[in-house]
Amino acid sequence: MRNAVQSVMRGLSWAWGHKIRTVLLLVAFTLLAPNPIRSQFVDPCCAILATGLTTISSTLSNIIGGGLNSILSVEKSISNFEQSVVWPQNLINQARSLVGGVQGIFNQIQDVMRIPVNSATLPATQQFEQNLLSGDPNQIAQTGAQYTAVYGALPNVTMASPQTRDMIDMTDATAQAALKRAIEIDSLADLELQAADQINQSIQTAAPGSAPIIEAQADAWLVRANAYTQSATADLMRVRAIDLANASANVKNGAANAAAVQQQIYNLLKRQ
Amino acid sequence: MVFMTNVLSGFFFVAFSYWLVIARTRRQVLAAVLAGVLVVALVSPPQAQAQGSLVAAIQSVLNVINGLIKTALNSINSVRTSISNFYQQATWPVALINQAKATVTQMIGQYRSAMQNIFTINLKSATLPNPTALENAMQNHQTNDFASLTTSFGSTYGSVPNTAGASPADRTMMDMDDALAVDNLKTLKESDAAGDLTLQAADNIENAASQAAPGSAPFLTATAVVASIESQAVTQKLLAAELRQEAARLAHENALRKRGTTMTGDVNTQILNLLQRK
Repeated sequence: MRNAVQSVMRGLSWAWGHKIRTVLLLVAFTLLAPNPIRSQFVDPCCAILATGLTTISSTLSNIIGGGLNSILSVEKSISNFEQSVVWPQNLINQARSLVGGVQGIFNQIQDVMRIPVNSATLPATQQFEQNLLSGDPNQIAQTGAQYTAVYGALPNVTMASPQTRDMIDMTDATAQAALKRAIEIDSLADLELQAADQINQSIQTAAPGSAPIIEAQADAWLVRANAYTQSATADLMRVRAIDLANASANVKNGAANAAAVQQQIYNLLKRQ
Repeated sequence: MVFMTNVLSGFFFVAFSYWLVIARTRRQVLAAVLAGVLVVALVSPPQAQAQGSLVAAIQSVLNVINGLIKTALNSINSVRTSISNFYQQATWPVALINQAKATVTQMIGQYRSAMQNIFTINLKSATLPNPTALENAMQNHQTNDFASLTTSFGSTYGSVPNTAGASPADRTMMDMDDALAVDNLKTLKESDAAGDLTLQAADNIENAASQAAPGSAPFLTATAVVASIESQAVTQKLLAAELRQEAARLAHENALRKRGTTMTGDVNTQILNLLQRK
């Protein structure tokens, strides 16, 4: 205690003896002493900040919140409209179900069209008929020989005139081509039925947005099928054209024969 | 940061005090003061900003919200409202959707029964027992009575003669002709049955269209196109059958022509032989 008092007295004595230095130290202490913390309630800076933040909050609520609520309301309206009017899930499921039902009908059609219709009774005709109804393009190579077995071969040069041989050969060629084309068309029709099945199965698992893509593919298949139908119709017209040409050739031959007979009768009468 | 600042300030104050206390001359005191002032001037933190800049910053934020963001939100709202109106009034107006469904329903009532009645008119005309049986078998749209068709055909047109009754060539051609004729009659029965099923599919699709939505209609359209492919395939099978039939008729006539040339050749040969004997 006594030491402390002596130290204080010694310090006061030093301060009295060094007044300028003491003043400088007090100034330095005053300047470097820590500042007191400002009160949030009293400081005007905090009050302005609080008012500003309140205004910002209010503005965010009114302007941005209000605007977003309006957009949300419109979005909900669009969503409800799309789900209840444009793409209602129950009607989409109903449509898929219908596609499945139609697939059942297609299966029945294919079953009906696969029932065998063979009717020939003799060995050669049975074989030929089997070839014609096979719907197998690999069997086209045997069609010509089987055709000849049933309908006969082209007469040789000593048995028929060149005109008649030409007509017979052309007629056989057209008939065989038509029969071969019929095998091709049957095969193509089977493939089309198979593709139609696949497409219909795709529709059953499609979405409203992907169904038009499948429909486009189906349209392409329909165009293709139309082309094959046109081709078959063209072959039918060829057969009928050759039939007409044969009828015309018969008339021409008849006229030529009649003229020849007339000439022979005339020659016979002249001799007498 | 604040802690470091306080430590440095304390260290500076202690050092400054020590230097003032140990200074022996006025020059040393002055030097210590100048050094202290210099350190305070260089190291002291910058003054706090004025309150006016804070108000400006807040106002700036408010201006952004009230100007840019408000305008953008209003624009978005306006566009979405416009899209909604476009959907409901131009693209998918409920009134027109209902009108289209009603049209489908109305046309079903207007045409379906009428067309079915036309299509089911009795076309049979045969009067004798055998042709009547054949005609019935040909037109009944059934595919489970092919045997009956074959029997009726045989009863009406006769069967292929036995080997003593006709030449092998004639028997072959008769059998082939009959076979292709009966084949095609059977194919036509199949086609009739397939046609009935196709009409059923068309009815089902049309019924569904009367209850469809714009979003479910593509399914119906797609399956209708598939039905068209199936129908086209059946048409092709009919055309193939007709091709066979026409080709067989052509081949038949051609076979007779071949036989005629052969017979003519044989007659010529016989006449020549006869004349040579004389």
